[in-house]
Amino acid sequence: MRISFERSGGFAGITMKTAVDEKDLAPGEAQKLRQLVEEADFFNSPGKIMSRSPQPDRFQYELRLEETGRQHTVTMSEEAMPAKLKPLVNRLMEKSRQTRKGKDSP
Amino acid sequence: MRPIRYIGIHSIIPPYMLEEIAKHGKPHQRDWALRNLASAGFVRGQRYALGVLPSAAPVGHKSRTVYDCKHKDGQPPVGTLVRKEGGPRSKDVAVNEAYDGAGATYDLYYDIYERNSIDNRGMSIVSYVHYDVNYDNAFWDGSEMVYGDGDGEIFARFTKCIDVIGHELTHGVTQYEANLAYSSQPGALNESMSDVFGSLVKQRTLKQTAAKADWLIGAGLLMPKIHGKALRSMKAPGTAYDDPVLGKDPQPATMKDYVKTTSDNSGVHINSGIPNHAFYLAAVEIGGNAWKKAGKIWYVALRDRLRSKSNFASAASATISVAKDLYGNGSKEMKAVQNAWKGVGVI
Repeated sequence: MRISFERSGGFAGITMKTAVDEKDLAPGEAQKLRQLVEEADFFNSPGKIMSRSPQPDRFQYELRLEETGRQHTVTMSEEAMPAKLKPLVNRLMEKSRQTRKGKDSP
Repeated sequence: MRPIRYIGIHSIIPPYMLEEIAKHGKPHQRDWALRNLASAGFVRGQRYALGVLPSAAPVGHKSRTVYDCKHKDGQPPVGTLVRKEGGPRSKDVAVNEAYDGAGATYDLYYDIYERNSIDNRGMSIVSYVHYDVNYDNAFWDGSEMVYGDGDGEIFARFTKCIDVIGHELTHGVTQYEANLAYSSQPGALNESMSDVFGSLVKQRTLKQTAAKADWLIGAGLLMPKIHGKALRSMKAPGTAYDDPVLGKDPQPATMKDYVKTTSDNSGVHINSGIPNHAFYLAAVEIGGNAWKKAGKIWYVALRDRLRSKSNFASAASATISVAKDLYGNGSKEMKAVQNAWKGVGVI
């Protein structure tokens, strides 16, 4: 399973990104991530979950998951995010902050 | 006074009942009903409802409240009332910044453009601080301003910069006026209007001329270890930060570098660099205090000429036409606005 994640927008307009490949993760972490994907019911989520009236300066998220035999992309606005997707998004945001820290100290 | 939030019935009370409450309720009930009507009007794109209602505050009188979310999130945000109009200063710096910044923004709109608050009907200015945990953002939710404390690594607290506060409040003004759609060019114009008046609030507070102002948005919001002076530069879009962690400021200054993307509601915080720079060019060419003439031209265009689908070209013709009406055909001001839009490649 491979996940690519992007958070764009917000007042700052600074994009945060991360790419996660299950095979690079420690077994416990991979299992946790898989569990979050299942709890989010990710593969059955609509491809676009956008607010009808976007709230200015809110974040926009794009998540793409690929695994053998299937792939799915979900684009959503922060204010329209279903509660069940939030733990997965929070985990991926933590990852993208770590990615950035990694870049900071080469 | 107890904190007033009627959570849970936000979308259930029908508009006619809200109107009744807004007309005949006690002051705190009227305030709440007005905000809910504003919010409902935003959702449905109907602004007529407010026409029948009394002002929430007498003309020229601010009505500010600040709520503390205590690090909870929620839609709408939930908080405890910690400061109201005329109340004593708080020990909490974020509370005072939100209150004072809302005041400076109200004053710019009222003193210079004769606008009575966000809706021009004396609407209460409601701010929520300490939203969520490590929340590195500020936003306008359709009826109130919401500020996070930042993550303390990349971002400091979002109330720190008065231009951020002016920016958020201006989203409210735009919603009641041009109601620019929040996507692509209309969205980038919406963002630019917020940066323009956010910067003008800061410039007026600091009593700076266009030539002296730094034209930065969010100066001091990035933590000291980040390589950057601000989040955006209206004077030189694309130069606000260049950091190994954050990357480089992606804003274009001219149409030649317009960014096509599906991220960020099709680049609303990116391509806003173009109209931002146009405003800067116009203000500097006109000279003096930018909020007086350039600001007036942009404000009248936002209030009277721009519509939900207006793009950069419509903003150019609207501001040129307003400059002509206000200062005369062929005036220095009109030429400055023409030169500005030419300078960024829109005309």
